Amino acid sequence: MEVMMNKTTDSNSERREMVINMGPQHPSTHGVLRLELVLDGEVVKEVRPNIGYLHRCFEKYAEELGDYASVTPYTDRMDYVSAMNQELGYVIAIERLLELEIPERVEYIRVIISELQRIASHLLGIGAFGLDLGAFTPFLYLFTEREKILDIFEKTSGARLLYNYMTVGGLMKDVPKDFKKDTAEFVKTFRPKIKELNDLLSYNKIFINRTADIGVLPEKVALNYAASGPVLRGSGMKWDLRKDDPYSIYDRFDFDIPVGSGEVGTLGDCWDRYMVRVREMEQSLRIIEQALDGMPDEGDVTEAVPKRIRLKEGEIYCRTETPRGELGYYIISDKKGGPFRVKARAPSFVHLSMLPAISKGSLIADMVAIVGSIDIVLGEVDR
Amino acid sequence: MTTVIREGWTTFKSIFTGMGVTIRHFFKPAVTELYPEEKVELPKGARAKLYVNIDDCIGCNLCARACPVNCIDIETVMATSDVDLGKTSTGNPKRFWLTQFDIDMAKCMYCDLCTFPCPTDCIYMVPEYEYSEFDRTNLVYHFSDLTPEKVDEVKEKAEKEAEEKKKERERKMKEKKAKAKDKAKSKPKPKPKPKQPDNKKDDEES
Repeated sequence: MEVMMNKTTDSNSERREMVINMGPQHPSTHGVLRLELVLDGEVVKEVRPNIGYLHRCFEKYAEELGDYASVTPYTDRMDYVSAMNQELGYVIAIERLLELEIPERVEYIRVIISELQRIASHLLGIGAFGLDLGAFTPFLYLFTEREKILDIFEKTSGARLLYNYMTVGGLMKDVPKDFKKDTAEFVKTFRPKIKELNDLLSYNKIFINRTADIGVLPEKVALNYAASGPVLRGSGMKWDLRKDDPYSIYDRFDFDIPVGSGEVGTLGDCWDRYMVRVREMEQSLRIIEQALDGMPDEGDVTEAVPKRIRLKEGEIYCRTETPRGELGYYIISDKKGGPFRVKARAPSFVHLSMLPAISKGSLIADMVAIVGSIDIVLGEVDR
Repeated sequence: MTTVIREGWTTFKSIFTGMGVTIRHFFKPAVTELYPEEKVELPKGARAKLYVNIDDCIGCNLCARACPVNCIDIETVMATSDVDLGKTSTGNPKRFWLTQFDIDMAKCMYCDLCTFPCPTDCIYMVPEYEYSEFDRTNLVYHFSDLTPEKVDEVKEKAEKEAEEKKKERERKMKEKKAKAKDKAKSKPKPKPKPKQPDNKKDDEES
């Protein structure tokens, strides 16, 4: 941290305000985020997030590429922690514009894969959150589990992080033969690990003391800032696009929406947001199990893929539930090959704008907890 | 006083449950691999490096056009009529000399979009990951198997043939025009009729 300037608010008093830069190379800012902290002693009086260090012109690229299919690898690079979910949103938007009918098998594979990705993303989010607060061990254990998911993805798509696996109308290629077996095996071994995580981290007294009553986000504030995903659910609001505005085949599965309860502190504190993620992983496992049962064994996953995507003039706003919240794509198409305009509504960006409102009056050490608990990915904030 | 004791007890208990988990993990086998000594075998179809089977390439340029980052550079020269380049293993006739087929792996983003449009499936990803270089220019892979001398020769030949063809075409055009004139002279009455189909023919040929 670097001291920017000293200024006296009142020449007669002893009180001094100090502006400090946290980031962009700070290990706990999850990427390249710079926070300007106005401090009074150790108390944060004001936070000004500075973004744009990872800006890669996603929207301009999408317009310039002149092809709908070439945009998919760029959506991967927005939120690189949950690339499959980012692809799914884009692909569904184009499919709705095309009014395409998707084969049953493709839908099931998509659901399984995006739920696995949700677990992988939450594992990283939870692990890094613990790591920020000094819990190193859970991070390593969770990464071992995440590795298993990445191995399944590598066998399926060939890549470990940026998959480009979903295409408009289907999938890039069929899943390997032992995909079902591998996934079932993972589900079986992962269930006890959640209990282990609760023993190790969730109900650890030190962890609770660091996170309970910190960064309280009341439901009303969350709604005013248009928060979504685990951040909104942590404040006690039952809102999940998989249930409330089902896309793909999510309406066929039976699962619960975990919400924050204020068990160990106030409703909407860092612990609640953390715990919502842990409980969501259990629900994702339930969805995966049901999807594995329902998945047809036979079927061509590329049969509905159009050779060339030709769209009429039109526009669509399509939203999906990613691990971080509501990801929306607003796409305007014209008669040319590629989209006329693509706008991505990134949940991380929305949640970061909320940071000043919830971190006023906290300590510097708590800032780390708050930034970790909203689980932002800077690639998605800047796009 | 009682709250202090209760707090102390929960703290003590939570720390030791955590320790129990760690100790159980301590006796489990390690999950890590010692990389340079032990190497993980990548699954079939892993996307690590682009490879081109140049014998099967027909120089259609579809992969270069599909690439979102323009990392594929293809230059082709039309084969002259005296050479037969043969056919690919998939049965497609080859019509071009591939004087340049460069892939810049430093630019490549491993999206695999180039492999789908290929009509002969000659460009694909291989699971080979140890190819780091000290100089970025070394990451440009040249897949063309022609020597520079051969490239010059092929280009020269192609240019010559193209010129000859052009001359030939011009000569034919002249002949046709002359014929048309002769016809027009011999049959002066239907003037506009024969001109139009002749023009059309010329357009098609050119």
